[in-house]
Amino acid sequence: MYELVTGPLAWLSFGIFFFGLFYRLVWYIRGLNWQMDRVSYTQNMVYGIKGALRSILFWLVPFGTRSWRYYPGFTILVFIFHICLLATPVFLMGHNVLLLERWGFSLPTLPEGIADFMTTCVIVSAVFIICRRIALPEVRILTKPYDLFVLAIAVAPFITGFFAFHQVGSYDFWIIAHVLCGEIMLVAIPFTKLSHFLLFFLSRAQMGMDYGIKRGGMKNKGMAW
Amino acid sequence: MFKKILFATTSSPACDNAAKVAFDLELKWDAKLMVFHVLGVPTRGYSSFVTDVRTGETESIDPDYVEWVTEEMKYTYENLLKDSENSTLEAVIGVPHREILRKARKENVDMIIMGAHTRDEDIGATRYRSVVGSTMQKVAKSARCPVIIVSRPCTTCWKLFSNIVICTDFTKASNSAFLWAAKLSKEVNARLHIFHAVDINAGEPGKVSGQSEIEGRINEAKGRIETMYIPELKDFDNYEVGTREGTPYVEILKFAREKQADLIVMAHHTREIDPELALLGSTVEQVVLRSACPVTSVNHPDKVADE
Amino acid sequence: MPEGILCNKQVVDTKEKLNALLADKSGKQYYDEMTRLDVDTEALWATIEKTCKSRLRTWLEICAHCGMCADSCFIYLANKRDPKQVPSYKIQSTLGEIVKRKGKVDNEFMRYVMDTAWAKCTCCNRCATYCPFGIDMGVMFGYVRGLCFSHGFVPWELKIGSGMHRIYKAQMDITTEDWVDTCEWMVEEYEEDWPGLEIPVDKENADIIYTVNAREPKHYPEDLAEAAILFHIAGENWTVPSQGWEETSLAMFAGDWGACKLQVESVYAAMDRLKPKRMVVTECGHAYRATVLEGPYWAGIKSGKTPIESFHYVEWVAEALRTGKLKIDPAKKIKEPVTYQDSCNYIRNGGLGDYAREIMSYIAEDFREMKPCREHNFCCGGGGGLNGIGRYRKERNIGLTVKRDQILATGAKLVVTPCHNCWDAIRDLEEVYKIGIRWSFLKPLLLGMVEVPEHLLPREE
Ligand code: SF4
Ligand code: SF4
Repeated sequence: MYELVTGPLAWLSFGIFFFGLFYRLVWYIRGLNWQMDRVSYTQNMVYGIKGALRSILFWLVPFGTRSWRYYPGFTILVFIFHICLLATPVFLMGHNVLLLERWGFSLPTLPEGIADFMTTCVIVSAVFIICRRIALPEVRILTKPYDLFVLAIAVAPFITGFFAFHQVGSYDFWIIAHVLCGEIMLVAIPFTKLSHFLLFFLSRAQMGMDYGIKRGGMKNKGMAW
Repeated sequence: MFKKILFATTSSPACDNAAKVAFDLELKWDAKLMVFHVLGVPTRGYSSFVTDVRTGETESIDPDYVEWVTEEMKYTYENLLKDSENSTLEAVIGVPHREILRKARKENVDMIIMGAHTRDEDIGATRYRSVVGSTMQKVAKSARCPVIIVSRPCTTCWKLFSNIVICTDFTKASNSAFLWAAKLSKEVNARLHIFHAVDINAGEPGKVSGQSEIEGRINEAKGRIETMYIPELKDFDNYEVGTREGTPYVEILKFAREKQADLIVMAHHTREIDPELALLGSTVEQVVLRSACPVTSVNHPDKVADE
Repeated sequence: MPEGILCNKQVVDTKEKLNALLADKSGKQYYDEMTRLDVDTEALWATIEKTCKSRLRTWLEICAHCGMCADSCFIYLANKRDPKQVPSYKIQSTLGEIVKRKGKVDNEFMRYVMDTAWAKCTCCNRCATYCPFGIDMGVMFGYVRGLCFSHGFVPWELKIGSGMHRIYKAQMDITTEDWVDTCEWMVEEYEEDWPGLEIPVDKENADIIYTVNAREPKHYPEDLAEAAILFHIAGENWTVPSQGWEETSLAMFAGDWGACKLQVESVYAAMDRLKPKRMVVTECGHAYRATVLEGPYWAGIKSGKTPIESFHYVEWVAEALRTGKLKIDPAKKIKEPVTYQDSCNYIRNGGLGDYAREIMSYIAEDFREMKPCREHNFCCGGGGGLNGIGRYRKERNIGLTVKRDQILATGAKLVVTPCHNCWDAIRDLEEVYKIGIRWSFLKPLLLGMVEVPEHLLPREE
């Protein structure tokens, strides 16, 4: 079983993940239309790129934009959640051991204690995010079961991994569940809202180009995000 | 002298006295009378809303509403319309002074008659003073033809006028006012009082001129009247000259009262650059508000000289 | 009833159709017919498949439903944080639903969409600057308005407005003769005080071609005169075109893209015809947005730029003050506290915030910023055509409260509003809420404080 999920299934899910994202990328860019979007993307490329980079970078920095500063609590939550969610699996010791075994290379790794803490962070912030969804009327009205489902897909690998790492019950069960959940997440990324993994950058770049080219970028120093 | 008369009314009692004069002129001078009402002030941006001139309420405008207001005008002037032979009624949407000026220009009218449109009842003035200002003020300043403002009952028929006071400040505009007044005096054979008030507050604010200086200015004024105006009168000799010192509008009013004036004629005192900024309004406005007889404001040479 | 006599899927392109609409009291019959208008679901879906591409689809799809856009929307704030006014909810429950149902929506739903697109969003685009993904409801509701328009679900006034553009190439019934005559009239009226004043019509190769908002010649021609006087004082070599002088676009508010194209092309044609060096637009926000920012795309100009460089009035004023073409008499600067209404259309979406600040530094001694301001300022409350729609008067008035409180917080009693829509909204907010403020365009303020060179003064004999 373990062989299956870490072997062919892993290949398959990574394949779907990369191929899907690539498809998304092409689909997104091809779907842009200078006239319909009313942004002259290619004619004013330099302004566009400048605007796009500003738009992405400001938003990648915690408290880098007015919006992030306006909601400080949620901002902290979002950044902890996303940083831990992305960094933990990539730099996890266990994953890198596996990498080394199979492909003969590995990335720098996180000490186990820190990785464990970060995993906890993901889970705890997810809980807070859910609470926020329920508590705030303006978020509650937007929330659909699908949102929770997607959140569950994203957090499941962490919960299962956490159980496996701490050997709660059967390690074999949790580790297989963990791998499966991870694969589900990878597969889900191109197909669900999780595609914002990529589309965040594209959408931000697009908006940045809009501001960089049409909405004043050619006349001022750039949008004050 | 008056072939086409534009009577600009708010279609409210404030204009009743003006209405009587307007209809009277129509009959006596065989003129064409256009009764004209601007009913609502439109917005600056796009919208079909206007602010009703009489109520200050926001109304949504459509042809029905305009028609209804026109009907109402008919009712308001029912009595006067009975004898009228050559008059039209019209209601339009716009900023009052602007539409009055537009109409006067388009129809090339010989005179505009208005009620006083005092600031109290002119919503354009009280609520949006910075926006619309005083209608009368603006019409008086910009109209090409004489503007007659009637705020009190005027019982004397124009043909029977016996005293006309022309107040000059020697500006170009005043010349036009003088010419028009002279023409009217000749026409109805009234006595023409050529008057100038030396403004003791002129010059630096707060500094009241000394007595000898004032006397000098009075003599100067008399001299100017002799040279500028008297020759224009040619063989017409039913006139006299008067000068006073003080605050011009007060002196004008006092003089008119003494002489039992039937009509005061004056130019918009052009030296008062921005009437909007003058706390109490311009001299014309002050005179209009307080005068017992109608006041004519003439500022341009267009409708003055003999054709 | 498939289509009504007044309310239908056709555009208004003849005077007969226009007059029939105008004769309908407040759109009573029009809205009544609308309740029975058929929705052509297939056509709707076909349009969406063709035009709702990756940008919009992505926005609809990846919206995290996080609610960070909520507080950015002044309408949400003004309605006591009604969750139904959260930008994301507004779009998900309209465009989102249409896409989900593949266009199979009914009449009632379309009317809900219309009410949402025009009364719950002024297309101020503020939410886009607060959403982590840059999801822009302003853009999306602009798109939705286009869908609504082509299916006949558009507020009465805007159907009329877009028809005006198609027929008169202006938002109001002003013919070329009316316009040229108004220019002459204004010169007549003001030349005595300003000897040598001109409004040159159709002068070729001028430095500046000046274009306006049709409300100016129609109802407020002194605005045109004031512009002329300021150009005169500044010694500009300028002109107005006899045709193609209208900058505004109710068609943009209506979502009538065809009319938008016709309108801006008339202005671009004037540029080509008269070959001026640059264009200056009057103090109007959406006019600038329509003709300068969006217009080139409607007209299919690949560079996204107008045929000649175009400037908003505030840019010209800032330049004139900077270069000394206009000089302010220091004694006449505005002494009282004064604030500035940043128009969404040329500040947030046109990036001209600095110019406004530059102007204020020359003319005001106690300039107070609203909070928030510049690119992040709230809509005046009347944008996107909302000021002009009778059906949504109540909603509009509620929306004004945000601006009211912003102005009150500055303590200023004078609001500089170089935009026709903002001007109106602030006038109306004074009328409804009576907070004792005044408001003004820049032109009359400037006229009250510029130093007039000796040789331009009228000579008294
Ligand atoms: S802020 Fe953006 S992602 Fe969040 S709910 Fe609003 S539109 Fe959606
Ligand atoms: S564009 Fe403006 S009015 Fe519309 S939803 Fe966004 S913030 Fe609200």
